[in-house]
Amino acid sequence: MKIMVPVKRVVDYNVKVRVKSDNTGVELANVKMSMNPFDEIAVEEAIRLKEAGKAEEIVVVSVGPKLAQETIRTGLAMGADRGILVEHDGETEPLAVAKTLKAIVTEENPDIVLLGKQAIDGDNNQTGQMLAQLLGWPQGTFASEVAPEDGSLSVTREIDGGLETVKLNLPAVVTTDLRLNEPRYASLPNIMKAKRKPIDMKTPADYGVDMGTRLTVLKVEEPPQREAGIMVESVEDLVSKLKEKGVI
Amino acid sequence: MLDQRHIDAFTDMLGAKGTTIDQEAIYPHVREWRDKFIGKAPILLMPSSTEDVRNIVRYCDEHHIAIVPQGGNTGLVGGGIAGLEGRNEVILSTKRLNKHISVDAEDFSVTVDAGVTVSAIQSAAAEHGLLFPLSLASEGSCTAGGIVSTNAGGVHVIRYGTTRALTLGLEAVLPNGEVFSDLSSLRKDNTGYALNQLLIGAEGTLGVITRITFKLYPAEMQKHTFWLGVNTPQDALSLFSSARTASGDRVSVFEILPHTGLEFVLEHIEGTQNPLDTACNWYVLMEVATSAADKLLTESMDDWVAKAFEQGLIKDGAVAQSETQTSAFWKLRESMSEAQKYVGGSIKHDISVPVSKIPAFIEEATALLAEHFPSCRPTPFGHLGDGNLHFNVMQPEGADKAEYLANWEEMNRLIHDLTIKYGGSISAEHGIGTLKREELARTKSNTALSMMKAIKQAIDPKGIMNPGSLF
Repeated sequence: MKIMVPVKRVVDYNVKVRVKSDNTGVELANVKMSMNPFDEIAVEEAIRLKEAGKAEEIVVVSVGPKLAQETIRTGLAMGADRGILVEHDGETEPLAVAKTLKAIVTEENPDIVLLGKQAIDGDNNQTGQMLAQLLGWPQGTFASEVAPEDGSLSVTREIDGGLETVKLNLPAVVTTDLRLNEPRYASLPNIMKAKRKPIDMKTPADYGVDMGTRLTVLKVEEPPQREAGIMVESVEDLVSKLKEKGVI
Repeated sequence: MLDQRHIDAFTDMLGAKGTTIDQEAIYPHVREWRDKFIGKAPILLMPSSTEDVRNIVRYCDEHHIAIVPQGGNTGLVGGGIAGLEGRNEVILSTKRLNKHISVDAEDFSVTVDAGVTVSAIQSAAAEHGLLFPLSLASEGSCTAGGIVSTNAGGVHVIRYGTTRALTLGLEAVLPNGEVFSDLSSLRKDNTGYALNQLLIGAEGTLGVITRITFKLYPAEMQKHTFWLGVNTPQDALSLFSSARTASGDRVSVFEILPHTGLEFVLEHIEGTQNPLDTACNWYVLMEVATSAADKLLTESMDDWVAKAFEQGLIKDGAVAQSETQTSAFWKLRESMSEAQKYVGGSIKHDISVPVSKIPAFIEEATALLAEHFPSCRPTPFGHLGDGNLHFNVMQPEGADKAEYLANWEEMNRLIHDLTIKYGGSISAEHGIGTLKREELARTKSNTALSMMKAIKQAIDPKGIMNPGSLF
């Protein structure tokens, strides 16, 4: 079995994001970038499937700037086998990415495309679903457990108010949720090995995909600042203040 | 003795918000966080301006009332705890001296009130793309005045120096109530005795520091965080030297932990795991950082790792791929003290020796301990890069805690004597306080001690400033 894992380079989860002064977007200059945490979970799951003897090859794919090679390298250092980078500077909207991934799937013929349910920058939660639709494949989204069976895949999904288990015929698209696993550290021996693993450099043109954006961002703003509170002396004081504000 | 007349005078001076005699409110200020020292105080004073501090000190000078200045109360040697050994002292807490914090980005400096916390200074600097490099486990609570008075160290000393190196100027109220003001941010100033240097590390015995100007640096934008497994402290030391060279001297953190210490953390601290599959004798937490994106640094460190691995200096290791992983590495290091608390009694030493002598020191100290205290478990960890080890020694498994801790002084003397033999210091970063007063007297030369006492006598002739500390 072959698994393809699309990964995205995003602003590190722990970075406090700041809006650009001209309100056109968020500040990306000199900001720590890392692999989208949901994609990291997808890489980990793929490696676990390989370690369990269920998969033979893991291909990590990214659509993004040249520096996304580092992100792919992280996946390779965790244990994936090779990488493909479709180089594109500028916005990557879910539909264009899904079309690019579809073209790569056609060349690579993976049995599973395993990816994060969403990237923490745009929070779109669309790429996996769009890809499944474009390929006409079954999809198991928000997976908290993935169990391969003979020719099929049992996926436990995190849904409102509980869990749902679906059985997918292969090939299939699976998107990962937080509780699926805890990603491993990239060990030094594996980081060194990863340097020798190949990364194919491609462009959207190689796949005939138009990366043009369909959405226009009008304005990006900081959420309103929380205003300073006041101290009240007594319960009566609190009640009268609340009444004054028309809260009660 | 403090009577009602004094309490009324303080209340008049500072208002209801500035004083309390409520013992429940005072208790957290007279209790050391590990319960090693529990003091007492009739009143807690919380001035909110230099003027307030001056009024307090003048009054105390006039009435011979002893003052214990206190910052975040995170100290480890009882230097900020009032009322120990039967002394009658008032606490002067700087917690309301926390309004002023101003960054001068072009001057690479920040001026703050003494009660501002270290993490607040770090955040203010970060907003300007700058770094306040002092970093230690208690940074959320410890204060600017506290770190200056104790010349705090922390994890970035190898690259940025101790608080002394980061302090450009300060303002303090002297024991006679005069305000000594030298808040300049000058990098060069050779005009006689560097008086502000006297107040740094003086543990509040020469006055109350009210405001400080600190040095800032460009923020660390590119950072590589390594968790390395090594065989011996000597291997760790070799790695430190070669990493300094390979990185263009940009190693900002180089910490060492023994496997036993890591085991305590993994067992007792929730949500921790060893980043490595193989257990190693020692681990190194290393950070290499630079203020601008530098691809060459990445390549150079990659080569360094590969070579050290080939030479067998690194047994196994991991490199953080995200800030989440960086924090996970740090959690292992920062939980060292806390985890030991759950394991049992721990006799602590905060020593430094020349960096090159660390491996030999660890070996000799471990052998010495095994001879005098069979089955004790030495757990030395800390800042290998600057020669400072927290040489903590855990009780033997299953031993009685109180019985073991009764060895505190005897073991201290043993380790401190060895430290002196290695040309080291018996208190690298925690200070003297009341805890190490006798050890200071025992190990310092008479010349040094009499110079110190002469300074104390000249500046605080009535002995009202933190009388229990240092001497």
